[in-house]
Amino acid sequence: MADTNHNEFLRVEGVSKRFGITQALSDVSVTFRAGEVHALMGENGAGKSTLGKAIAGLHKPDTGSITLDGQQLKLGSIDDAFAAGVRIVHQELAQCPNLSVAENLCLHDMPRGKLGMVDFDEMVRRAETLVHRLDPTIDVRKPLGGLSPGKRQICQIAASLEDGVERGGSSPRVIVFDEPTSSLSIAEADRLGEIVRELASQGLTIIYVSHRMGEIFSCCDRVSVLRDGKFVATNDVKGLDEATLVEQMIGRRVVTPTGKVQSEGGEAQALQAASGLEGDHPHAGKVVLRARSITSPGKVSGVSLEVRAGEVLGIGGLVGAGRSELLAAIFGLDPRATGAVEVEGKPLPLGDVRSSIREGVGLVPEDRRHEGLFFQLGVDENIVAPRMPLLANRKFPFGLRRESEEKQVVSEKIKTFRVKTATTKSSPGQLSGGNQQKLLIARWMGHETKVLLLDEPTRGIDVGTKVEVYKLIREAVDRGLAVVLVSSEMPELLALSDRIMVLADGVCTGTLEGKDMTQTNILTLATREVGAT
Amino acid sequence: MLVILLMGALLVVKGGTKQKQFRISVPEGASVVEYDAAGAETTPGTISLQQIVGWRVTSSEGEQAYVRGAGYSYNANQQAFFGRRTVNKFLDSENLVLVAKDASFIAIMAVGMTGVIILAGIDLSVGSIYGLAALLGAMALRKFTGDDTSLFLSVPVGVGICCLVGLACGAVNGIMIVGLRVHPFVITLGTMAAYRGLIFVISKGQSVGGFPDSFTSGFFKAEVAGTYPVPVVVMLLVGAVGMFLLAKTVVGRQVYAIGGNETAAKYAGIPVGRVKIIVYTLLGLLAGLSAAVYLGYLGAAEPNAGMAYELKVIAATVIGGASLMGGRGSAIGAVLGAIVIQLIDNGMIILEIDQSYNQIVMGVAIIIAVVIDQAKARLAPKG
Repeated sequence: MADTNHNEFLRVEGVSKRFGITQALSDVSVTFRAGEVHALMGENGAGKSTLGKAIAGLHKPDTGSITLDGQQLKLGSIDDAFAAGVRIVHQELAQCPNLSVAENLCLHDMPRGKLGMVDFDEMVRRAETLVHRLDPTIDVRKPLGGLSPGKRQICQIAASLEDGVERGGSSPRVIVFDEPTSSLSIAEADRLGEIVRELASQGLTIIYVSHRMGEIFSCCDRVSVLRDGKFVATNDVKGLDEATLVEQMIGRRVVTPTGKVQSEGGEAQALQAASGLEGDHPHAGKVVLRARSITSPGKVSGVSLEVRAGEVLGIGGLVGAGRSELLAAIFGLDPRATGAVEVEGKPLPLGDVRSSIREGVGLVPEDRRHEGLFFQLGVDENIVAPRMPLLANRKFPFGLRRESEEKQVVSEKIKTFRVKTATTKSSPGQLSGGNQQKLLIARWMGHETKVLLLDEPTRGIDVGTKVEVYKLIREAVDRGLAVVLVSSEMPELLALSDRIMVLADGVCTGTLEGKDMTQTNILTLATREVGAT
Repeated sequence: MLVILLMGALLVVKGGTKQKQFRISVPEGASVVEYDAAGAETTPGTISLQQIVGWRVTSSEGEQAYVRGAGYSYNANQQAFFGRRTVNKFLDSENLVLVAKDASFIAIMAVGMTGVIILAGIDLSVGSIYGLAALLGAMALRKFTGDDTSLFLSVPVGVGICCLVGLACGAVNGIMIVGLRVHPFVITLGTMAAYRGLIFVISKGQSVGGFPDSFTSGFFKAEVAGTYPVPVVVMLLVGAVGMFLLAKTVVGRQVYAIGGNETAAKYAGIPVGRVKIIVYTLLGLLAGLSAAVYLGYLGAAEPNAGMAYELKVIAATVIGGASLMGGRGSAIGAVLGAIVIQLIDNGMIILEIDQSYNQIVMGVAIIIAVVIDQAKARLAPKG
């Protein structure tokens, strides 16, 4: 390696890839240095993940070449990429939760002892050498499913560090991280950042696919931006500001009031500016949603809240603090929940989603694929699903649909929420992530909804759509909607909320208003030790 | 649909032909004469058959000749001519109606099963429900009707009891599946055995027959133009109602929603448990209806009626395009699927293939249908 050009350790040249009618990558050329953390950024569908996967051999580019350390890689061959030392850490945690950490790490090559039986001691030893490099507190004998998402992610990184030498290949030299923090809490993401820096300092090239701005600035050396499958620019992170990066990603300038974007609260301001959320919003009126001592065994204990019409109450906290569980309990999804919920003074029976809907409560769930969308139904029925029984002629057995009224609601909502879809009958599977999210928001927003519970409303969608979603939310709030917003994205929480309630371990540790709403204050409350009471 | 056309075409081409007799009545007030080689006309029956070249019929509508060499014969007593013609074994109307009729027992249940399969559920007990409903329906008919009971009593009693029994059995399935939160495969595997056991306990292994004619030949086995169309009509009605319920009612759409994504259905406020119970109950009801049609058609309830029908019913549903993963399927597909299954049976008779191969062919057909279904799912865009 002595005579290699370290500035061009990994060269991607003229790579194009087409999926059906979508040109995912067109003529992309990027070079990566040895020992750098190099981020790939872009909106959803910009091609950043595709590029990462092409480098790891998971996708076969139609044209172009990939050269590692002067040696050309066979395109689309995982084995060849592995042998050359390219590893990938996947977006989704693809592991067997029922098996131990050690078994997961050795799945592809279980050490054999006498009589071909599995040599557990050897397996544990191997796993420990891998895992303890990153986190010595993980017990590799324990089932993987018992670990937090962050620790599981660490195990997956550990797996990618495995030496390929005995399999006839090279030890890892390039690691591709594909949206590694999408299921991690803030603290876990920070720890991941440290690990990434550590690996880079050992000379590994890290390709970091992400759309979280904060991570790029905290742990990356350079960042390459893709837009619509095309290469836009490679920047040194040092001296780069967020506005420039956003501009490169979405292709237009986001004007910020302060000109220079600061790290603390800067992104929130930029978002506010882009979505037209600046300035104070009049706290219109009366309390719409009142929840008292909501408790769900092991998840939430004794949380009370009030939201007024035209107000956004943000809920902050770390993953596992009980934020989603609180929303689920209020909405009636948790049969074990206790407490009292009132909408406009009218008490709601807990544990009954339908009466919540009838009283004008909506919930946009965190996980749109599993909790939100019906992929076998069209966009139209996905939008109208909760309203269908209310629109129907209920005198008829099983409820006769009023399709013309459904159609009217659907076309109105598609227009208002700018859901881009080929036809109203298309499966939501054919929509981009951002449009899927807009569809779900459209499902719940409308004159009939008084209270909207939003759980991570912009997870996994690109910056442009995010801004659009914020505008839609704000417009509805200005018309008198009451919103409870759960978000792990600090800038989003700060930009949208009028007040922020922070949970830790299922308990409310404080509520912040006005100038007190800062990232530091939220984190302080979110990490507060909740004593055994 | 394509499959049916292809199978039909195959049977039309490969099935070959057979001779079939048909009858032409002599019109009222017409005169019939026979003529010989010389053209001399005589009253029918005067000369020997060998000498006859043909017959001439003169009526107000004009003159018509029937030539003996073309296969015609004349029967003076019946005042009719008989001819022979070559028909395609498969395309013959009687054969087609036979296929449809045999398919109808399965199809009626398959429409209900479609609902269950769309829910991503399954019901193995349909065959047993069918048998139990038929038995109790038969016993009710024996008890409440006599030989000369009118259609207006016998049909409501027979159909009513069968449907009620089916409905009750289906409701038990549904309530247990929802209430005990046990996979439907397990619950209905259990009730399949239990309901069948009940049949043997009640019937003591004897078949029950002897219903009023008004229930059998007067209704379900009513003859129209040499065929028995009532089961087919019931099948088409059930298919139409099924299509309507699945497409046009709220509960119908909720069935698709639950089958596609049960968690999302809960989040959208869909009463998942209630919809499931409704669907299993309706399948039971349809198994009961099918049993009533079977009773009326065959005139007796056998203790092993409906045995192994679950296989045929599920096969019909799957061949009709329903996905065992849930979320997809249609009532019309189920009816067509049942027809395909019956075509397999019928085709093997027409093609003179040993009946022992029947099960093998059907098994392979199910696997092919599922493989095609999954290939389609893979090609479809992912979410």
